[in-house]
Amino acid sequence: MSKDMVKLSIDGRDIEVPEGTTIWDAARELDIDIPVLCHSTRMRPVGVCRLCVVDVGARNLQASCVRPCEDGMKVETDTPKVERHRRMLLEMLLSDYPEDSAREASTGDDELLELAVRYGIESVRLPDGAADRPRGVDLSSPVIAVDHQACILCDRCVRGCDELQHNDVITRTGKGYDTRIAFDLDAPMGESTCVACGECMAVCPTGALTNQALGNVKLKPLNGE
Amino acid sequence: MKQVPNAMVEQRTTVGFKGVDSLCPYCGVGCALTFRVDASGERILDVQGRDGAANAGRLCVKGRYGYDYAMHPQRLRKPLIRRESSYPKQPLSGDVKGNGGGPRKPGGIVDYDEILPHFREASWDEALDLVANRLAGLRDRHGGDSLAGFGSAKGSNEEAYLFQKLVRAAFRTNNVDHCTRLCHASSVAALLEGIGSGAVTNVVRDIENADTAMLAGCNPTDNHPVAATFIKDAAVNGTKLVVVNTRRPRIADHAEIYLQIHPGTDVALFNGMMHVLIRENLIDREFIDTRTEGFSELRKVVEEYDPDTTAALCGVDPDDLVRAARLLGGGRRAMIFWGMGISQHTHGTDNSRCLISLAMITGNVGKPGTGLHPLRGQNNVQGASDAGLIPMVYPDYQAVDDPGVQAYFEDYWGTSLSPKPGLTVTEIMGAALEGQVRGMYVQGENPFVSDPDTNKVRKALMALEFLVVQDLFLTETAEFADVILPGSSFMEKLGTYTNTDRRVQIGRPAMSLPGEARQDWEIICEIGTRMGYEMRYESVSAVFDEFAGCTENYKTLSHENLGRYGKWYPCLDPATSDGEPIVFGDTFPRGKALLVPARLRQPEEHVDSDYPLILNTGRVLEHWHTGSMTRRSAALDRISPDAFVEINPEDAARLHVVDGAMVEVASRRGSIRLKAKVVPRVAEGTVFVPMHFREACANVLTSPALDPQGKIPTFKYCAVRVRPLEGASHGKEAMGG
Ligand code: SF4
Repeated sequence: MSKDMVKLSIDGRDIEVPEGTTIWDAARELDIDIPVLCHSTRMRPVGVCRLCVVDVGARNLQASCVRPCEDGMKVETDTPKVERHRRMLLEMLLSDYPEDSAREASTGDDELLELAVRYGIESVRLPDGAADRPRGVDLSSPVIAVDHQACILCDRCVRGCDELQHNDVITRTGKGYDTRIAFDLDAPMGESTCVACGECMAVCPTGALTNQALGNVKLKPLNGE
Repeated sequence: MKQVPNAMVEQRTTVGFKGVDSLCPYCGVGCALTFRVDASGERILDVQGRDGAANAGRLCVKGRYGYDYAMHPQRLRKPLIRRESSYPKQPLSGDVKGNGGGPRKPGGIVDYDEILPHFREASWDEALDLVANRLAGLRDRHGGDSLAGFGSAKGSNEEAYLFQKLVRAAFRTNNVDHCTRLCHASSVAALLEGIGSGAVTNVVRDIENADTAMLAGCNPTDNHPVAATFIKDAAVNGTKLVVVNTRRPRIADHAEIYLQIHPGTDVALFNGMMHVLIRENLIDREFIDTRTEGFSELRKVVEEYDPDTTAALCGVDPDDLVRAARLLGGGRRAMIFWGMGISQHTHGTDNSRCLISLAMITGNVGKPGTGLHPLRGQNNVQGASDAGLIPMVYPDYQAVDDPGVQAYFEDYWGTSLSPKPGLTVTEIMGAALEGQVRGMYVQGENPFVSDPDTNKVRKALMALEFLVVQDLFLTETAEFADVILPGSSFMEKLGTYTNTDRRVQIGRPAMSLPGEARQDWEIICEIGTRMGYEMRYESVSAVFDEFAGCTENYKTLSHENLGRYGKWYPCLDPATSDGEPIVFGDTFPRGKALLVPARLRQPEEHVDSDYPLILNTGRVLEHWHTGSMTRRSAALDRISPDAFVEINPEDAARLHVVDGAMVEVASRRGSIRLKAKVVPRVAEGTVFVPMHFREACANVLTSPALDPQGKIPTFKYCAVRVRPLEGASHGKEAMGG
């Protein structure tokens, strides 16, 4: 049994996990919540957003959602260095984030804004990249609203569409700051081969892909749900 | 410096919500979901996927966006009684009259202004007394067999159980059926004959253990969309898909082999595959010897189907046929899924018999990654059948003409029962036309649109002396009603539903009933009690317990132990087990499986120079059956608003049909007008019309010819002709795309 298991410590706590387990999953078993935007337990991890970085004593910080645990590893998930790194990433993501995230405004569960609150970020020191080149909205689908400005290119929708539902509609297009998600060969969503399963909307962590039907409503849980 | 918006500017109305764990009301996949509903219980705000056994949080467009029909302003809120002045009975709307008048207003749903003036509002007492008195009167004057009931595969197990009990114990007839007759009756007939059980042997998600999966006559990306995502998962991970169809389904894009066969040649194809398997010794001798009987007769018949002749007959490449056969045998783990393309034929039972034999001779039953899976259509068609909404059997498929069984139920229900098997859906319509069935109770079905040969159904419904319809909306069928009772939608009721995997799950009420609408189960009980047969229950779970108590498969289950996630039946010990995802590892309910050979038969209907094309009917992703739900869902209606006929580019060119132009499709029974979609996915010589659109009702065209065992109509095969409509052939632009 020990052949397939590895022992490590996370924030000073010992844990034994099967070989191949990621640091992020191991930490979850210890109820240590490592922040993440691009990863979801329903999906293959891709290590895109880098918010889940941790210190394993290596030269670089490591993305815990993709980094497998190793025997004898000592992992620190919230050192000042790690926190500084996360704060910088969040500021960069927030620098061109729209004023009114459609997710925060409707279902109130914008994960980027939630992390901004958790890290106490109230203002952003970086220039607004969208000031003279807004990335646009697409309301062509009857059910899903697309706000490219709120997209952080975490690829959750891409994996939701291609790997969970296998509809193979969503991909990335463009280079550099102009990189966007796109439908088919960059058609408007409503004219693409999208079958409106809504998986992308369900997995999107930001205001980029949201439910049009909620219109002007903001949901608030009743009795502490 | 840019500020981070942490407290949003509140321009929106804040609505408090609570989450209700329930299920999707549409298809047999049985996806678990959570409705988020406002405090008043009048409005569902949105839907979230839940981690159910069948869906792992995934949903399709219907489950995620199709819930709003329940909130539609056309919901019936009060009982309605037909006005004296509206007798003698006639269909009321232009569409339903079928004189080519068409609707007064364009659009897909019943025009209430046309219908409502013929009815007056009534109290529940008045309406229920009228129903009970008229039905009891017919029963007492003409005998129980003058009555019949159509229950619903959309309702819960509890409702289905009560409905068949009402018909059997209070109407005193076995004339009770539901739309399983129109979908998998032939599959179930073949399965009962072959193995002694009509349910699937392996759950859909077991495909992850299969080397090969054959998908015959089904279109899962449209009809079982979330199941299709798991089938595609498997394909990505190495399961080889063999897809057999007459109209290319999207799942074929993921297939190792796609066999586009000529309509009606299924039996030949499967026999050809068995021929190859036996010739190349890719069969499982031990399994055949220990678990089956009838192999030598089967072998004799399939001997006649050599791959070259068979492939030519089916219109496929002989190499593909041979390759497909090899993928199923030789010790590979193979699973077989099938759908309406197999069952809805006059030879539907034969088609299923062949699929059963294919699985048996390759030893592909009873272990992971194998098995027989007829994909069930309605969310509760498995449960409604299990609950006895079938004319020949009581709950749990116990035969009504078995005296021992009859005595058991006479005791269980405390009344005398008829030993005579009842009539099926299509037979009941015939009997109504001939005056043998005089009174009917239709709960949550819409036979005017769903049954074959609409013109015949119209006459049958007009001929009824008394018709009571219980539904959410004024359906086309309700135009013929004497009394209309407003029932409850899925989102308003508590009950259990059994999905295609035999998983029994609880649907919970998210919304309150509109107006004076009542729970369907209570209405059924009221009618029984007022007809003199006492039906009183404390709760829905008490009904479940009574139902479970007369079955083998459900007897260990209760609302309490089903909990939030449900269980597969059989489930020997609900305290420790989730139920059985795979059954028949050692033996079949009938002991050894019976291999029943079948030979290709000629279709009932002939293609000739007047009617040169073969019509296939089916569903589209966004719509459900007669459209009474989905066409009242804003999102679904917007995505898929119009009826269409798919026609192959070669045929279109020959007939001068342009993509997007209006055409007439006519069969020997009637004609409809709709838009043409010129697409290569339908084979030359065939056309496809979806069944959902009342204004171009596919069943005006279809034939009521039946499969001799399953009594299922041949929705997948009828001869038609297509012609462009004069002055309407200006193509896509002019039709507004
Ligand atoms: S796959 Fe079926 S059960 Fe699941 S969401 Fe779609 S319609 Fe509903």
